[in-house]
Amino acid sequence: METTDQLRHQLIERLMARHTEKVAYAAIGLWEPLATQVVSLVGEEGFNSLYARSAFVAQSKFPWLAAHSLSPQTDLRFAELKTSLEGQIAAQARAANNLLLTTVTDILAALIGEQLTAGILRSAWGDDASYSASKEFKNE
Amino acid sequence: MDDEATIRNRENLVSTREDAAHLREDSATLREDSATLREDSATLREDSAHLREGTVQAREGETHIREQTVAKRERKIREAETSKAASDDQMIRLQQVNARLVTATIEAKTLAEQVQAAKDQLDHLAHHDMLTDLPNRVLLQDRLGQAIDLASRQGKQLAVMFMDLDRFKHINDSLGHVVGDHLLQSVAQRLVGCVRHSDTVSRQGGDEFVLLLPYIEHAEDAALSAQKIIAMLAPPHRIDAHDLHISISIGISIYPDDGKDAETLLTSADIAMFHAKESGRNNYKFFEKEMTAQAVERQFIESGLRRALARQEFLLHYQPKINLCSGAIVGVEALIRWQHPERGLLLPAEFVPIAEDCGLILPIGRWVLREACLQARAWQDAGLPPITIAVNTSALEFRARDFLKDMRAILEETRLEPRYLVLELTESVLMRDAESTDAVLHALAYLGVKLAVDDFGTGYSSLSYLSKFPIDTLKIDQSFINRMGSSPNDASIVRAMISLGKNLKQRVLAEGIETQEQNAFLLAQQCDEGQGDYFSHPVVAMEIARLLTNGIPEGLSNNPG
Repeated sequence: METTDQLRHQLIERLMARHTEKVAYAAIGLWEPLATQVVSLVGEEGFNSLYARSAFVAQSKFPWLAAHSLSPQTDLRFAELKTSLEGQIAAQARAANNLLLTTVTDILAALIGEQLTAGILRSAWGDDASYSASKEFKNE
Repeated sequence: MDDEATIRNRENLVSTREDAAHLREDSATLREDSATLREDSATLREDSAHLREGTVQAREGETHIREQTVAKRERKIREAETSKAASDDQMIRLQQVNARLVTATIEAKTLAEQVQAAKDQLDHLAHHDMLTDLPNRVLLQDRLGQAIDLASRQGKQLAVMFMDLDRFKHINDSLGHVVGDHLLQSVAQRLVGCVRHSDTVSRQGGDEFVLLLPYIEHAEDAALSAQKIIAMLAPPHRIDAHDLHISISIGISIYPDDGKDAETLLTSADIAMFHAKESGRNNYKFFEKEMTAQAVERQFIESGLRRALARQEFLLHYQPKINLCSGAIVGVEALIRWQHPERGLLLPAEFVPIAEDCGLILPIGRWVLREACLQARAWQDAGLPPITIAVNTSALEFRARDFLKDMRAILEETRLEPRYLVLELTESVLMRDAESTDAVLHALAYLGVKLAVDDFGTGYSSLSYLSKFPIDTLKIDQSFINRMGSSPNDASIVRAMISLGKNLKQRVLAEGIETQEQNAFLLAQQCDEGQGDYFSHPVVAMEIARLLTNGIPEGLSNNPG
């Protein structure tokens, strides 16, 4: 039986797999609403920490993600990420973004639990982003 | 008609009067009514005034109420605004707190990972060799212990190979440690490349490696593996523009036959490796029980050597060098002896090779040099005729970094003039890395120290270098002197060597002269000097003093006077 974090990973893969082209555009389309939700809870500084940590983890597999930082301007927050994703072939860009999102949500889930994370993702990405976290609910 | 009219007029008049009365009454009534109405009107006006007052009061009341309501609403709005501002502040504070918590948690996690990574690295360093990144002896012990346990449970065999690079020290000494280190890394890579994933190649230190083969069916499997390693190491290693050839000697021990624990297996493999070295290097040997006795002997000597210096168990004997023409003692060769506490006096052949192998030759060599210089100076101070004193110098000493520095320090300390000191070096020492040799030899010559080629004829010499090097004396090896009476070829070689020395303007000394015939032959060939038991065995310093005073006994020298 799949665990909740696996379901969440699958959700991210599914959302990214919808876009065979314009991967960077699709990626930012997921990042921005997620950032809005997360920032409302943990502030810019907290979100930046989460992102920086994820980029650090992802750089072992995708070194070209290493130097990226978030712009202090909200509307340009992911400009650098978008540029670097655009510089890669679609499969690479998708894989890298999957890893980034997966890592961010993994950390988030580790910090606040799977249930709250699921709620944030639903708020960010709509009802499509529902996945079961019932198992964790029982444990929490 | 008139009456009627009058009547009617009267009647009309009466009626009119009545009417007027009525009218008056009515008028009065009206007046009364009017008065009443006026009164009523006044009352009404009063009422109206009251009402108006009431209305005004009511309006005032409403206005007051409205004012209160407005004030209340304003108060509520102000309260709401205050509350919202407080809520916003609270939200911002919550975000800030969350941000700090997230950041702190992530930083803590990062820190924990760094600590773990440092621990992993420390663990790796504790179990791996820094230079080659191979498992070190600690990890090998662990794996060997596990492999023995498994083999014991399954009733199987395993093999341990002790490997030592042949003449690695020479590469290190001549080309430097950097090249040596790169060579070790190259060797390590090749070793890893020719073993199975389940095998463990480890570096024990220096140029020693150990290979653990935890799964073998037969001892022959280990032999095949050894052959493969020897073949893999055969091609040259390209290191810093040098094509270096290095071979390896391998000793193999098999569990359980050659040892049931890690230490015994390693010792057995080490012993077998020494036998592989003694059998010509670049090969492998399986451990045999008989090897142990020899290894024990070697270990006995080595451990004794480590104590001998501190216990002052070494001493020097001196063998005179005779001017064959005059018969005078012109010098002595200092020869080390070891007064072993259990075995008595040991000759160099019994311990010098072991001292060279374990590196003890360096401190021992320094002791010999200092002791010899002190003795030569002591003879001079005693008023005896000044003679040269020769000291044998091994390759390890000659290549040692501080060789020249030590030499100068000892000469200075002992106050011996350098021209009385002769360093005897073999051909192999001189000819290896001739360029650097040339520099050291010229430095020694500049210092005033004399140089002699020891055991000349037994090694390989480049005549070009032989003429170029600042060499004073060629010492013909005693094997030629020993055989020249029975072998015309050897006699011819001796003649040629004497001739060569003369032509190169070098003195020629014949070693190992034991008979009058040999002495006569050499004298006839105009050999300059001789040394051997015919003149004198190596003797203690006091005996040399006596010989210097009295001369070589009559009949032994050609010109006793």
